[in-house]
Amino acid sequence: MENNQVANTPPSALLENNDLLIEQAYEQLAGGATENAGDVKNNKTPTKWEKWKENFKRRGWILVFILPALIYILIFCYGPMYGIVVAFQDYQPGNDIIGPDTVWVGFKNFEDFFSDPNFGSYFLNTFLLCILGFIVGFPLPIIVALLLNSVRPKKIKKGLQILYYAPHFISLVVLVGMMKLIFGSDGLLDQLSIKLGGDAQGLQLFLKAEAFRPLFIFSGNWQDFGWSAIIYLAALSGVDPALHEAAKVDGASRFRRIFSVDLPAILPTIVMLMILSVGNLMSCGYEKVLLMQTDGNISTSEILSTYVYGGLMKGQYGLSTASGLFNSVINVALLIIANFTSKKLANQSMW
Amino acid sequence: MKKIIAGVLVAVLWFAVVITYTVIATKADDDEDAHEFTILTVKEETVKDYNNMPVFKDLARKTGKDVYWTYNTSLQYSNNTDPVGTKGIDAIYHSGFSNLQLYNYGRSGRIAAINKYLENDKVMPNLYKILQDRPDIAEALKSPDNNIYSLPRVEEMGLKAHPNLLFINKVWVEKLINGGNLSEVDITKDDLKDGLQLTRNEFKIILQKFNDFDMDGDGSTTNEVPLSFVSGNWQGNESDLIASFGVPENTEHKTIVNDKITFTIESEKWFNAVYELNDWYNRGLIRSSAFTQEQDEFLAKGQDGRYGAFYWWEKETVVKKSLQDNYIMMQALTDENGNSYVGMSNELEIEKGECVILSSCKDIAGLLSYFDKFFEPVYSAQINYGSIDSGAFEKYKEGEMLIPNDDHGEQSADDFRMKNAPYGVVYLPQDVWDNEIQMESRAKLRLERLDVYLQNNAFDNIKSIPNLNYEKDELDTLNRYENSLGKNITSWFTTRVTAKSAPTLSDWQNFLKTNSASISQVKSVNQAAYDRYLQATQNRA
Repeated sequence: MENNQVANTPPSALLENNDLLIEQAYEQLAGGATENAGDVKNNKTPTKWEKWKENFKRRGWILVFILPALIYILIFCYGPMYGIVVAFQDYQPGNDIIGPDTVWVGFKNFEDFFSDPNFGSYFLNTFLLCILGFIVGFPLPIIVALLLNSVRPKKIKKGLQILYYAPHFISLVVLVGMMKLIFGSDGLLDQLSIKLGGDAQGLQLFLKAEAFRPLFIFSGNWQDFGWSAIIYLAALSGVDPALHEAAKVDGASRFRRIFSVDLPAILPTIVMLMILSVGNLMSCGYEKVLLMQTDGNISTSEILSTYVYGGLMKGQYGLSTASGLFNSVINVALLIIANFTSKKLANQSMW
Repeated sequence: MKKIIAGVLVAVLWFAVVITYTVIATKADDDEDAHEFTILTVKEETVKDYNNMPVFKDLARKTGKDVYWTYNTSLQYSNNTDPVGTKGIDAIYHSGFSNLQLYNYGRSGRIAAINKYLENDKVMPNLYKILQDRPDIAEALKSPDNNIYSLPRVEEMGLKAHPNLLFINKVWVEKLINGGNLSEVDITKDDLKDGLQLTRNEFKIILQKFNDFDMDGDGSTTNEVPLSFVSGNWQGNESDLIASFGVPENTEHKTIVNDKITFTIESEKWFNAVYELNDWYNRGLIRSSAFTQEQDEFLAKGQDGRYGAFYWWEKETVVKKSLQDNYIMMQALTDENGNSYVGMSNELEIEKGECVILSSCKDIAGLLSYFDKFFEPVYSAQINYGSIDSGAFEKYKEGEMLIPNDDHGEQSADDFRMKNAPYGVVYLPQDVWDNEIQMESRAKLRLERLDVYLQNNAFDNIKSIPNLNYEKDELDTLNRYENSLGKNITSWFTTRVTAKSAPTLSDWQNFLKTNSASISQVKSVNQAAYDRYLQATQNRA
């Protein structure tokens, strides 16, 4: 058995060992070189560039593995990006995006967008909806993951986990349909409140502008908190049990252990996910908002992305692209700020 | 094992790609049969193939043109971001392009301007004559650059300006009278027939009783719906209820009073209406669903006769057949003096953008001469209702009136028309209805009902806003302001009507003030365009 395993060790692993040794040798050489730098200038010590070249020759073929992903990103993410120049054009479908007939209008689309009488309210609505969603939705999966992790019986833990993430698979249309049946006109909640002696119209949450954000955020979180918790659970499974045992020996309570062992262990994951979600802060999807929009709640439910959608439907391609671009610029700015802040404060960052 | 599975998967994927490719390739080949003209139309799968419709075969014979119809379903078409770019077509039928789209496609030279074919009667004698006789149609067709980019659809029955009728549940009112519960209203059982006249206050009292009593006798007083409509819908909306306060409301809140473009929301009568509707809402006379439901939901809920009263185009679609006699049609609600007030919608009977010719068409004049036949009454009728040869009309003799055939056996008249009529480019003005074609019985019935509904209408100085011809910068201004203004009005109206507390005068004044810039911009642009329209139509008339 033992022999068999050794024989089965993949050649790449051996190669890696081999490389490690070579690398160590190089490092020793390099160390020697700096020590003797004053004496001998024209030593054979490889420069950084030469070292890189040597490395590439030896292991460059590994890069082939990331090639498909790279091509995918180039074609589907960077490729279409040149289309944002439409934001500076008077564009109609069928026109060349860049060609002799292109009508360039400078910042006119942006001026139109910013001078829309409702621009302020769209911006504020987007901001509030997303920031509130973030405040509620970000810590929730962390708490759930920590709690789930400290459930001891395996079966109960697995059961709860499935129960929590199952709603993730409900499609948006069905979800909003369910919400309308429960909270909408003549819905369950209204029938109940009428039966219990409330006023004749019930609560009418779908018609109330102030109820839109809570409904949107809580339904979204109900659907996704279990799903988002999975990544934290994965991080938690990597915690060394020895740490827990040591803490136990020291007399730490269960609660104490969550704070002093589990939480620090998943902190890097938390920070990384936080930076990523701050980068998406201003982009709530328009689909669910549109589905939930009624004449009554339009004053809080009209956000930038639904505005973009409305513009596209009316053939205002330039205006829509301009507002979408504006939204993306804000997102990028937020991402950079978040990354910078976390680098300074927690010494954790994406780059 | 894994390798085998992976291999099989790859093979399956590969085959899928190959098969799709061949299917697409062969399909493309089919379409490229040599036809003189290929036209893209928008139709549902259930509508018969245009190539097999007798009326189009007849047209081909008469004009000697070889026309091939391809189609998109409306879903495919709405997902097509660039229908004009479709390969191998010469025209788009049912294009549905808006003013702005027509102008944009036109000025980029992708759809053809057809005005030069309309300077004399050589190419399009029928349309040429129509435009000579009807300067309003000529004006409606123009784009900001004064070119004409589309063929019109004109169907003038006088029905669209008033898309609402008011129906009330006669059986429920009878029940109230029998039970002695309606002493406040001076009404007897003999009054309960079509044309019933009630003041708004009397109507309110009756709705209140509908709400308070167990009208359908199921032991519960909460499941009756006293009054229903679909807020903001093109038909069966709340406009006429608001208009009964003396303001010519329609769904756009915009109308013409004494040749001046007017926003109804600026009138204090409009505010009074919102104030009163809020009271109706809080009393439960209007359910919240009136503001959240779509047309289909409204129709589904009405089938079993749960509505005490409702606004709609006709009662036949709302209530199932066995219960239709339970409902009678009322006059529009009156004031204490017996006057009623009903506004006019801006739904127009002249539609542009019905059909466009692509610039790439090799023989534009030839294709236009084909389409010109569509404007003859006999062809317009068949395009609108179905071919004579497929039984849409009773036997036709030259020189006699076309009489629609309502009897299609198992099929309802509506179903028959949906399957057999292509709709689209037609010219059916009032005098065609008088002399050439008899109206369908449904349309006739509705006209009769409208006469009754409007018999005490005191408005005589209002008009619908016609198809106006805007200049480029006017279109820009409208685009900038109209969208957000519309949203703000809908939002204010709906939230104030459905609020627990009554709206205040200062709240309304504030609302007007915050939107005053948009209101005045939209008004002045509309007014300028309308003044030009008046001038153009009066000069030529």
